[in-house]
Amino acid sequence: MTALFGTKYFGFILSAYGITAAVLIVLTVWIFTTHTRRKQQLAKLEEAGLKRASRSNG
Amino acid sequence: MTTDAVKQPRGLMALANPTRFLAFVQIVLPYLSLTALALLAVGLWMAFSVPDDYQQGRTVRIMFVHVPSVWMAMSAYMVMVSGALGVLVWRHPLADVAARAAAPIGAAFTFLGLATGSIWGRPMWGTWWEWDARLTSFLVLLIIYLGLIALWHAIEEPAKSARMAAVVVMVGALNIPIIRFSVEWFTTLHQGPSVVRSGGPALAPEFLYPLLVMGLAFLLVFLTLHLMAMRNEILRRQIRTLQRKAARDHRTGNSK
Repeated sequence: MTALFGTKYFGFILSAYGITAAVLIVLTVWIFTTHTRRKQQLAKLEEAGLKRASRSNG
Repeated sequence: MTTDAVKQPRGLMALANPTRFLAFVQIVLPYLSLTALALLAVGLWMAFSVPDDYQQGRTVRIMFVHVPSVWMAMSAYMVMVSGALGVLVWRHPLADVAARAAAPIGAAFTFLGLATGSIWGRPMWGTWWEWDARLTSFLVLLIIYLGLIALWHAIEEPAKSARMAAVVVMVGALNIPIIRFSVEWFTTLHQGPSVVRSGGPALAPEFLYPLLVMGLAFLLVFLTLHLMAMRNEILRRQIRTLQRKAARDHRTGNSK
């Protein structure tokens, strides 16, 4: 692997990979936390006695 | 003939049912996400093992995140076009779910394409930004994505928002060939196509293979995130239905 540290364009390469990693991580965490929050909301509604159509006749 | 003999949809058609789709996502997601991570690791290792380019030096490594981001930005839009067709032709709610779930992911990849392109452009072109045809049409793609996300949030009634967004998606699709061919139709600072072009890829194999591996890794990342986002959208609709049912029951004095 070619050494990159301290080279002329190291900052540009690091920024490009850094911003890509940051955006993909934030996107994944946002989608994941949304899923957790919605599952909790749905569970609360079902606890309150409300049933989804796909479960009410089963 | 009994009622049990009613034909059940098979294969991909069976997935058009949200409940079956959620079960499918539950099974597929772990394998898909692990494969995406493994391929991303291999792609990154390959990307940092390439020799320096004779013109671009070490900055050629930015290509391995810039180009796949651009591919995914445009692929996400094509997923939205398919979803829009599903809404307008078959009026299937899962088609709107697919289109709506792809929008923020497509916007994120479009932002990445613009940001990494700008970072790459500074040392290579001597400028962060130029209002040329490729860069401007790609910025327009980001604006379309943001506009669509706003539209979906602005209209409460699902069927109406689905139809309106589908029309905007189809109109916005005109921008995709403009992005693709802008480097051929206009004089731009951006280089011409070097992978998908007549006469085969212009890239040397030592750069092409890492790029294809990173492209495949980004595709799997996109598919993983899209399936997760579709699952979230289905849950949102189920919550909305139950909340409306609760409000209706409350008005009529029914406890259940």
